[in-house]
Amino acid sequence: MTTLVQLEGAARRFGSGHTEVTALHPTSLSVEAGELLAVMGPSGSGKTTLLSLVGGLDKPTEGRVVVAGQDVGSLKPRDLAILRRRTVGYVFQDLNLLAGLTARENVAIPLELDGRPLGEARSLANAALDSVGLASLGDRFPDDLSGGEQQRVAIARALVGGRQILLADEPTGALDSITGESVMRLLRAHCDGGGTAILVTHDAAHAAWADRVVFLRDGRLVDEARPASNPDLSTTAA
Amino acid sequence: MYAADNEAEGRVSVRYGLLALLDEAPSHGYQLKTAFERRTGGNWALNIGQVYTTIQRLERDGLVESVDIEPAGDDRREYRITPAGRAQLSSWFDNPVVPEAPARDELTIKVLLAVAAGDIDVTALLQRQRRASIEQLQAYTQRKAKADPKRDVAFLILLDALIFRTEAEIRWLDASDARIRSLSERAPAQHPSKETA
Repeated sequence: MTTLVQLEGAARRFGSGHTEVTALHPTSLSVEAGELLAVMGPSGSGKTTLLSLVGGLDKPTEGRVVVAGQDVGSLKPRDLAILRRRTVGYVFQDLNLLAGLTARENVAIPLELDGRPLGEARSLANAALDSVGLASLGDRFPDDLSGGEQQRVAIARALVGGRQILLADEPTGALDSITGESVMRLLRAHCDGGGTAILVTHDAAHAAWADRVVFLRDGRLVDEARPASNPDLSTTAA
Repeated sequence: MYAADNEAEGRVSVRYGLLALLDEAPSHGYQLKTAFERRTGGNWALNIGQVYTTIQRLERDGLVESVDIEPAGDDRREYRITPAGRAQLSSWFDNPVVPEAPARDELTIKVLLAVAAGDIDVTALLQRQRRASIEQLQAYTQRKAKADPKRDVAFLILLDALIFRTEAEIRWLDASDARIRSLSERAPAQHPSKETA
């Protein structure tokens, strides 16, 4: 198996001495290609810190974070930006899309930032929209899309150009349960196709789409869950 | 999961389930068993003895009757719904299901007793339960991911019921955890039952 994300004793502390705050204690964790990992825990338990470290939005103060074979902590800003544009995609709960751009233009942004020719960016954006079932809505502006459609556009943008690692911070938080489920199906399909996704969520029903659920508490990984082998569906009618 | 109250509820569901099937067409006991299982998503096993016991009660109450004039063995008799049965079925569909008393389930009692005991690590207890519930939820979700949204509607509705119940349990675990945590953050006391200050 290919390990796409690896934390080796990675920690994130803020301040020092009496005012030091540890957002994440030294943590080791690896995520393989094909794996959907969910991270659960109460507010302030370190979930978002963990995701920011993997996404290269923040650097560990101890240990190493290796993403697609690259040590994020030692990358130069330019290489970090390339990692974010080519390998890692982010989806947040809301405020994902730029209102003045069409769905297709929103999806093409990371490719254009990466210097790809417009024609190529456009056709890759179309392919990404197609993969989330929105091929026909590329010309719409975000305001003309439903919440679920907007979130699918955001996922298309996170994955466009074949990015392997999808990081999602409460991506279903603003959606109703059936629409949220369609977002989870997309994450699942991305991983079943050989990619990797790390999902931070409060929602147990959505976390349950993951191959593995890890629990954070006060900045520490305290437990993990894998699917029960024998689902008890045989509710007998007494 | 909800063992304490399931038995009576289960009997009621089978009773109306069979009435609903007989409302469509007269049937034999075995036909009723297979049709009931199919309708309820293929995961609600009925044994044939249960079917006959239920039919006998329905017949006693005048809600179904035997179609045959000649007496035959249980397995060969065909039954149909009576007007009284149809009226009762229709009233069942027209009225919401209201639980008569809150479920007395093992988990709630275990958590309450652990909180009161004072020397039990309630946080660890809640986490063990949370993990087990999530693992169950993952297993249900794997089944859901494989189901066909058009063909397996009954099965998906059943799975949703199991999923949302398990999810509710997890939310309750999280809420209990947060309550206990907020107590220990406010006062140095480790356990709410010992917190007298």
